[in-house]
Amino acid sequence: MEIGLDIFLQVMVWGLYAGCIYILLATGLNLIFGVMKVVNFAHGQLLMIGAYVTFSFFVLTGFNPYVLLAASIPILIVIGVSIERLCFRPILGTGKLNEIFISIGLIYILENVAALVWTDEWKTIRSPFEEVSITIGSMKIPIDYIIIIVTTVLILIGLYIFLKKSRLGLAVRATSQNRKAAMLVGINVERMDMLSFGIGAGLAGAAGTLWVVSGQVFNPYMGSVPAVKAFAIVIIGGLGSIPGAIIGGLILGIAENFTVLTIGGAWKDAVAFLILIIVLIIKPNGLFGEKAE
Amino acid sequence: MIEKDRVVLYLTIAALACAVLFPLVTGLNVYYLTVLIIMVIFIIFASAWNFLTYSGQGSLGHAAFFGIGGYISTLIAVKSGLTPYLTIFIGGAVAAVVGLFIGIICVRMKEWFLAMVTFGFAVIIQVLVASQFSSVTGGWDGVAAPPLISNTVPNYLVYEYYSILLIAVVVILLFRTILNSKIGLAFSAIRENELEARAAGIDPVRYKLLAFMVSAYFAGLAGALEIHYLGYVTPEIFGVDISFWPIIYSISGGLGTLAGPIIGTIVITLLWDGLQSLGLTYGRFIIIGVILVLVVIFLPRGLISLPEEIKKRAPKWRGRFNKLLQK
Repeated sequence: MEIGLDIFLQVMVWGLYAGCIYILLATGLNLIFGVMKVVNFAHGQLLMIGAYVTFSFFVLTGFNPYVLLAASIPILIVIGVSIERLCFRPILGTGKLNEIFISIGLIYILENVAALVWTDEWKTIRSPFEEVSITIGSMKIPIDYIIIIVTTVLILIGLYIFLKKSRLGLAVRATSQNRKAAMLVGINVERMDMLSFGIGAGLAGAAGTLWVVSGQVFNPYMGSVPAVKAFAIVIIGGLGSIPGAIIGGLILGIAENFTVLTIGGAWKDAVAFLILIIVLIIKPNGLFGEKAE
Repeated sequence: MIEKDRVVLYLTIAALACAVLFPLVTGLNVYYLTVLIIMVIFIIFASAWNFLTYSGQGSLGHAAFFGIGGYISTLIAVKSGLTPYLTIFIGGAVAAVVGLFIGIICVRMKEWFLAMVTFGFAVIIQVLVASQFSSVTGGWDGVAAPPLISNTVPNYLVYEYYSILLIAVVVILLFRTILNSKIGLAFSAIRENELEARAAGIDPVRYKLLAFMVSAYFAGLAGALEIHYLGYVTPEIFGVDISFWPIIYSISGGLGTLAGPIIGTIVITLLWDGLQSLGLTYGRFIIIGVILVLVVIFLPRGLISLPEEIKKRAPKWRGRFNKLLQK
């Protein structure tokens, strides 16, 4: 099959758009890992909760779903902070496998609470801009894609400014670099744990809203596939590296869409895993990963 | 110490006697037999998962091996007409080879990466089996699996139960032998400190791969038994649930002990069936999730450490109780 320049560009835009949701998810994972050295395996379930929160508010209020980011992010931050306080803090530093076990418990709780509240049927909503698209050259790009890309970029810029410019962000970065030293200079590291987990969950909530807005279907058990892709990105980009997450997300989004174009849709979900294995064989710590201990 | 060993021995014999006699006492009740068969299969599966943790590794995707064992055994049994009692071992062997492959990728990695890769592997293999290999595997509809013993034989469930119980006992004795041998020592050395183990002349890579292969083999065997017992196999076998069950059983029972997965499987399975009869479709998952979180936080060595913990804490509670009385 001949791939012309315009198709190439089109796939790049699709990939960029598909990558956005994964980038938000993976950035949250990396932020939490950076500060707490904990991997939250229930991160995909937070995206799922974010999707349902958006859905509920959309049904109740009928607002433009993009505006509902203002609902899903704060609610997920509250959920994230509670999860950190109740589940992760008691086991911090007890053993590396414990956090994984706690996550499994959380996956069960979150999925089935969602099933109790919203039933386990597949749901979807329509974006108000579904019919609108703009044409650049020979490309036709739905306006939703552009809004999603811009929203993600804005969220990431906001996160960047928070981490680089504010005192609180400085404290988060310090804790992430050296927990003990941060404690010595008077940073309340436990508060930083809560904060980073809250932000991570909030980003997953934003990803959930974007998932719903982009017209994708969701049910209480849909969290694991996006989570696996976020893990793949985290590994590709390196654990704890936020720029790595962004680049990894773009690589994955674009690779997925090229796979759909060339080999077929069924391989779309498998390609993340293949890239993951290839990267791990070449560079076991990821492309931008910190050195092993 | 010898006193304690003897107690453990007696308890083991008593438990085995219960397992053997229970179907006879209950008059070969079919419902109890089905519960017992699934329980014993999952004891094998949970023990296989637990075996991996002895070497300091973990897996969030053991459903992959469980399912591969089930599919391969079924497909070979269907194509060749061999009895499932032979093909289950082939299923296990293929699972072990796949396990070796995953192990080679993961062996240099930290726990988190290992968990992510295994978790992803199970999700991806489900997609592939359902779509790419659907000409062989029947896609989401699955394939019918020949039963272990034809259901025209009277009381075939009883024979199936005893044969599976025998396999389980052999598997657990085998694990015990391995873990009490030099290999077991090497595993604990690697688990405690890989660098020091290397300094003592132990090759961690070799032992870790061995642990992965053995664990995958018996997970595959358990999967094959389950499938031949159920009579059909669909890609749902690669589901996240199946990966999590052995973990939940092992943790709630007691990680890193032989008895832990067995006790955990029995307790959680009974609880699960009890909750099901109460009609809690989603509630039971939530309850299991809450139990898991509570066990990890408050009882990190599992139910098996419960008597010890009570003994340790009893004086404190008694003191508090007395204080209350004095008031």
